[in-house]
Amino acid sequence: MNLSRIQNILLAVAILCLAGCTEPPIPPEIKQAEEQALALWRSEVPVYLPEEYGQYKKTFIKAKANFIREKSRLIFFRNYTHVQSEYRQLLQTGNSIIVQLEGKKQEFSRKTEEKLSFLGDQIETLKRLSKTMNEGRLARRNLIQAEVILIEAKKRFERGDFIGADEKTPSLAQHIKAAEKTLYPIVTRYSDKKQIGQWQQWFDDTIAESRTRKIPVIVINKSERTLTLYKRGNAAKSYKIGLGRNGSKDKIHAGDYATPEGRYKIIKKLPRSRYHKALLINYPNEDDRRQFEFAKKKGLIPRTVSIGGLIEIHGGGKDSMTYGCIAMDNQNINELYGLISVGTPVTIIGAVDARNRFSSGIQGK
Amino acid sequence: MKRITIAFLICSVLAVLLVAGCAKQPTEDIKAAQVSVDAVVAEGAQKYAPEDAKLITEAMNAAMEEIKVQDGKTMKNYGKAKEMLAKVKTDAETLKSNLPMKKEQAKNTALATQETAKTAVQEAKILLAKAPKGKGSKADIEALKADVKGLEDSLAEVQAAMDGEDYGAAIEKANSIKEKAGEVSAQVTQAMEKVGAKAK
Repeated sequence: MNLSRIQNILLAVAILCLAGCTEPPIPPEIKQAEEQALALWRSEVPVYLPEEYGQYKKTFIKAKANFIREKSRLIFFRNYTHVQSEYRQLLQTGNSIIVQLEGKKQEFSRKTEEKLSFLGDQIETLKRLSKTMNEGRLARRNLIQAEVILIEAKKRFERGDFIGADEKTPSLAQHIKAAEKTLYPIVTRYSDKKQIGQWQQWFDDTIAESRTRKIPVIVINKSERTLTLYKRGNAAKSYKIGLGRNGSKDKIHAGDYATPEGRYKIIKKLPRSRYHKALLINYPNEDDRRQFEFAKKKGLIPRTVSIGGLIEIHGGGKDSMTYGCIAMDNQNINELYGLISVGTPVTIIGAVDARNRFSSGIQGK
Repeated sequence: MKRITIAFLICSVLAVLLVAGCAKQPTEDIKAAQVSVDAVVAEGAQKYAPEDAKLITEAMNAAMEEIKVQDGKTMKNYGKAKEMLAKVKTDAETLKSNLPMKKEQAKNTALATQETAKTAVQEAKILLAKAPKGKGSKADIEALKADVKGLEDSLAEVQAAMDGEDYGAAIEKANSIKEKAGEVSAQVTQAMEKVGAKAK
């Protein structure tokens, strides 16, 4: 090969390099994919669709590696056709993830909204229940903490942070559970068939006594917070009442703020009392004494406490904050005072029906 | 003469190839940029400036990709990569120097919100103390007292978030407490009105 021929070949290569072998343009899909990846990250795809995002990331890394390899090649051999098609595929995957994300977000938002609404309802139910029972101050303490968290969760939800809102639900549920724990031991008695059976029995016997002996009797229904006067077995008058601070519980001993349950009678009428007028009942009766002794023997109550007494139906307002007495408005006690006499039977029951205000409350109705 | 010219040409090409092909990875620049990125992350950039932190991480990745591109080339040129790394380093350092200010801002906002929540709870408490002790409103007042105790428990959670430098969580909770304390105060007033008492 002579030298002039070699020179010509070199010259031809140089011309080709300068004229025909300019660097092929980088496909626009690459930049678009970079932007899309950032947008996916911003839209919380890694959180909502972790599997899909993991797959997308793998494809992204592979495409990028191929792009880098292609870009590293000599300019004459550089060809982005394959890379471009890979990136187009990647963009399509990204777009389909965006569509999925919308659906997923909507579904998640709906589920979170339902969860928050359910928990909100539970709070309301328990608050109502604690108010109806006028007890459960410990429950209220937990319930308001739950309400604080609910506000936080709702605010997160409103600004589209569904994941953040959902993250609040476990601590919210925890406070609700704690509130339930303090309320339910009291309330479960009101859905206990055996207990309700006994109350029904007392009620039936009292009404029968009123009918047979043709005397007025008083029935106090704790769950309804009512005092009803029966004449000859028929309801003649009904009044709203208040009970002890822990009035939904059965009284066991002095200072438990509970209102006794059982069959009693009026033993004294007090025309002037600290709470307007009062009707003293014969608490503790024989059953109460037995119950008290049993509780003491079993160590269920402190050894030093006494059984208590001086349980009255009195005026002063139907606020359920007594030490265990039954409280009425002054106007009502005035009326009742005139309608009964010493010896009038007084039966105090929790409920007469398994479907009462407390048992309904426990079922969240 | 012609032979000398060709030999010179070949030698020149080889020399250029040798010089360019032997360009080394800018390891020092990579290390320096990475140290800056790690430092800003350690300072809590992802917590206080997540968007900026993400952009810096992305820029670091892009610089490393450029290095990979050059690694695969016969004619290596790390100039662009060096520029990119230098920018990452500067950006990371700028963000790092701004972080204490951002943290301080978040902390101050959280402190102010915490104070407002405390005041709101305290107001409800004072109002409750003035509420009549007699019958009529007593049950409501007792229940509201339990509510205030619950709010005080929540205030302790705000303090815990502050201690953990989670100012976002502290602000969020403090605002909710303030809202709830306002409701409690309104209920106390209502309960007092029920029995005709006036807040003194």
